[in-house]
Amino acid sequence: MKKKLVALLMVAGMLATTLFGCSSQTGQESSADAAAESTGETTEEADTGTETETTAANEEDNKYIAMIALGFSHQYWQAVKQGAEEAAAELGYTITFEGPEQETMVDKQVDMLKTAIQNNPAAICMAAIDTGSVASILQEEKAQGVPIVGFDAGVGEEESDVKCSTDSIAAGALAAEHAGELLGGEGKIAIIGHSQTVVDAVERVQGFKDKIESDYPNIEIVDIQYGDGDHVKSAEIAKSMVTAVPDLDLIYTSNEGSCVGAYNGLKEIGKIGEVMLIGFDSSAAMKDAVRSGEIVGAITQDPIGMGRAAVESAVKLLNGEEVESFIDTGCYWYDASNMDDPEIAPLLYD
Amino acid sequence: MNRLSTLTKQTEFKRKLVIVLALIVLWIAFGFINPAYLSYTNIMTILLATSTNGLLALGVSWPIMTSGIDISVGTVMTFSCVLSGVVFNSLGLPIGLCIIFGILVGSFCGFLNGFMSAKLGLPPMIASLAMQMITKGLSLVVSGIKPVYFTDCSWYQKIATGNFLGINGFYNAIIILIGMCVISYIIFSKTIFGRYTLAIGSNIEATRLSGINTDNWLIGVYTLCGTYAGIAGLVLSSRLNSAQPALGPGYEMDAIAAAVIGGNSLMGGEGTIIGTLIGALIISSLQNGLRILQISTETQYAIIGFVLIVTVAFDQRRKKKKESR
Amino acid sequence: MSKEVIRMEGITKEFPGVKALSNVKFSLNAGEVHALVGENGAGKSTLMKVLTGVYSKDAGKIFLEGREVNFRNVKEAQNAGVIMIHQELNLMNHLSAAENIFIGREFKKGRFILNKKKQNEEAEKLFEKLHVKIDPREKVGNLTVAQQQMVEIAKALSFNIKVLIMDEPTASLTDNEIEDLFEVIKMLRSEGKAIIHISHRLEELKLIADRITVMRDSEYIDTVDAKDVSIDALIRMMVGREIFVEKQKPVERKNLKLTLEVQDLNAGPQVKNISFKAYAGEILGFAGLVGAGRTETARAIFGADPHSSGKIIINGKEQKINSPADAVKAGIAYLSEDRKRYGLALGLDVEANISMANLLKMSKGGFIKFKECSENAEHQLQELSIKTPSIKQLVKYLSGGNQQKVVLAKWLTKDAEIIIFDEPTRGIDVGAKSEIYKLMNMLAEQGKTIIVISSELPEVMRCCHRVLVMCEGRMTGEVTGDEVDQDIIMRLATQREM
Repeated sequence: MKKKLVALLMVAGMLATTLFGCSSQTGQESSADAAAESTGETTEEADTGTETETTAANEEDNKYIAMIALGFSHQYWQAVKQGAEEAAAELGYTITFEGPEQETMVDKQVDMLKTAIQNNPAAICMAAIDTGSVASILQEEKAQGVPIVGFDAGVGEEESDVKCSTDSIAAGALAAEHAGELLGGEGKIAIIGHSQTVVDAVERVQGFKDKIESDYPNIEIVDIQYGDGDHVKSAEIAKSMVTAVPDLDLIYTSNEGSCVGAYNGLKEIGKIGEVMLIGFDSSAAMKDAVRSGEIVGAITQDPIGMGRAAVESAVKLLNGEEVESFIDTGCYWYDASNMDDPEIAPLLYD
Repeated sequence: MNRLSTLTKQTEFKRKLVIVLALIVLWIAFGFINPAYLSYTNIMTILLATSTNGLLALGVSWPIMTSGIDISVGTVMTFSCVLSGVVFNSLGLPIGLCIIFGILVGSFCGFLNGFMSAKLGLPPMIASLAMQMITKGLSLVVSGIKPVYFTDCSWYQKIATGNFLGINGFYNAIIILIGMCVISYIIFSKTIFGRYTLAIGSNIEATRLSGINTDNWLIGVYTLCGTYAGIAGLVLSSRLNSAQPALGPGYEMDAIAAAVIGGNSLMGGEGTIIGTLIGALIISSLQNGLRILQISTETQYAIIGFVLIVTVAFDQRRKKKKESR
Repeated sequence: MSKEVIRMEGITKEFPGVKALSNVKFSLNAGEVHALVGENGAGKSTLMKVLTGVYSKDAGKIFLEGREVNFRNVKEAQNAGVIMIHQELNLMNHLSAAENIFIGREFKKGRFILNKKKQNEEAEKLFEKLHVKIDPREKVGNLTVAQQQMVEIAKALSFNIKVLIMDEPTASLTDNEIEDLFEVIKMLRSEGKAIIHISHRLEELKLIADRITVMRDSEYIDTVDAKDVSIDALIRMMVGREIFVEKQKPVERKNLKLTLEVQDLNAGPQVKNISFKAYAGEILGFAGLVGAGRTETARAIFGADPHSSGKIIINGKEQKINSPADAVKAGIAYLSEDRKRYGLALGLDVEANISMANLLKMSKGGFIKFKECSENAEHQLQELSIKTPSIKQLVKYLSGGNQQKVVLAKWLTKDAEIIIFDEPTRGIDVGAKSEIYKLMNMLAEQGKTIIVISSELPEVMRCCHRVLVMCEGRMTGEVTGDEVDQDIIMRLATQREM
């Protein structure tokens, strides 16, 4: 309960800051500077790390990294945030982590980016809902020497210096391989996606589809629908898919909301077991269902590692170090048999 | 002498008949294309899909009858079940108490909406917009941006998805929806509350000058609406066995659309409860049908928007005709 | 000389359950003022709405200058030069006079830029023609009702009009303003325009009208020359019977029971230190000019508007009245001058309106006792002889007089002891007027306290036992019995503060 209180206070504090920020632009900037400075000082005092890093940061005198994600409320983003915050604290940086409340709100995300730029971040880490909408803004920042790190969905190739993400095509293909195995190379599959605009969402579906089509000629993909990652919508979609194709064998879903939604939908019409379900990402509900075998398996990414990699790459770029242009943060298949393995368990979050 | 009374009843009946016919035509059309659409399981699926939106629509049709609006029903729904779940998980109170608490949270949000518009003079749109933002934010804060699970209560999910009647597939959520619809209908047609709601919608000043405390009745109307949102929250969270704090925004528009398709005028002063329910059914039947026909998601939105235009335009024309006759 | 502009033949129009027009004919010549009279609900407004395309007719023919026409909407009628000015003026208060006149036909520079200067000049020209002084730039909301009416007339003139229809144009004008209006009408007549004038004030028709057409019960009765007809004869044609109202005799004061006492009531700028007493069985009149503060006083007593100081004592007990609900509980009823805005829920049926104030008593545990409600409504229909096809008829379809009776029925259902009538006969025809007077008498005899606010002196003199006169928010005098006289009241009503 105390946590809740703290959270409430934080919200109040944030509100107050926003209000003051609105009243004067300069005030906002100076307060952000002050914040950066104060953290800089504390790190200087406390930091026992390498000297080069400290001096580099001092020269820049800017230890603020802006991170903008596709979403905010979902636990996946909270895990990315956690990883990013951990890395930032270790490296002596401050970050802000923002994202629109729905992963479809392109305009809100663009506004968030613009606002973040007002605070003169040293680097920008971004997962763009629509890469085109932020391309010009990011290019401008890049031209001014601000490193741009894409994470998760990433940003356009031209804009980004590094991309830290799951290779979504590969992740989709990994799911497809397991689906093919489970079906014994024969059957009907339907797909519930969560977005038609987010690049990695599209790739998760595309990777799955391509793999099935190329490797499993006797498996037919009968329907693809999109439910915005909304639990209820995804449930309704799953049910109507079963109605439309009574001999459906398997449903592949492209994120947690789609998966749990489809799970609930199948459960409501008593088709669990009859129709197999493959998910993506994890949550408490998903873990339970995977453990019991009701969800045959799912792909998990490494969001904590992703957040960490994004911040670390940004800092490396700021320090003038070489960074590879793509850092695959990995993806893993998990099911009832391996979910408690030490290399998998930490990647599953509630 | 009685000729006219039967006449007005006839037009009223005709009006409901038109949307009932629309629904039946919809069913037949989809059923013709894919017979599985009219299977028992699918009909139950449609009814279950109607439950949340139907409850929200029943709730929101009350403020609409007073020529007001409540655009916070979706997020109030979420807020009420999130709070109920948080209380359940952190205080360990009996689930029954938590459910009642959740519904009361909905009522209280509605009460605040009513208070803001009746006593503080905020336009209902603004009052409920503020409430929408507040509840949206607080749901995320209180839940710590994580789903709130009811897994500690083994039968919580049965509240919506069990079948109390023992008929397979006839979910409790459907019974709750029908029950709440009947209650709404009784309040609407048999009680002072319903009568005053319409009177306020027709002419609030004349109602006030009849010695009726319109402020209090308005607060009552919004409280009722909030209560329905709270019950919708119960049904939704039971279906998902969890309260999803990010869910809710956007649901109010589906609810308002259902109320309007059902024949409620946003100008207030008239209303129909059965119509609202049928409006909600039309929306979910359409969604379900389009999905079964495997029509792409983006086209589905466009088609539903188009249906909204057609039904409301049709209703407007009918009204104009009646006026000028 | 007289060329026929409009001829209507065999016009029939039916609303659900009501025959609004039955085989009506009407003829209008150029350069004539043709008055259309009849009780409310006789079909005058409906006939004019059929003429201007608001309603479609079920049968009959309309000729404009010999050619058959069938306007489908107001715009078509407007383009043909047939324009109606409604009783409730159709202006946008936030726009200037000139903007109102040329709305939809704005003068423009190029395609999109408004030419306000030209617009104001054109409006100025129209006002000059009408000999009125109105600033075209002034917002219409700041003008007096009479000036607003001139804006409407100017707007009509800005079209190439042949026929101008005016529905009750004098209803809310002062005598001087009426004279000015008549000058304008005469000028239009001399230019050869045809004018239809709908009015309840028979006296004024003799001054302005050339011919008078009488309607009754949705039917055409007769068309007569205004010069040749007496007012009595007109009334006979309108109501189909003789009307006679005797002047009130003063009531014996000693036997009266004091029911309402108001002491030093102050509420806003229009109610200053008002004190008076009202008795059961008495009809108390409130006379004064428009804006004297009578309505404001009534609204303050009724709790519709807040009062800053003063006591309201009912049956010897001081009552705290902060809302209409308090007033109703204390036994006060108020029939507003604007019944459509303040008296009725037009979209609800007769029964719902009649039951509205007393619904708590006619229900159990929140559930309405429908039988009791409809029995009471039926009873009230008979008592007050309200003409409606049934208690399920929507109130908006009733005529003004019947609507007024529905409001009264509501308060009688509530069993109110003190009933305040604010302009009870505004917009109501002669026949219904005398019925309302009769009802007030009956209620007074039953021991109710009746307060009547009226701007029509003959009405005050005819039906009140005692008259209080107000001027500019203050009480300037009280007249009883034989003193109730037009001159005395007028003197008190204009007794301004120095």
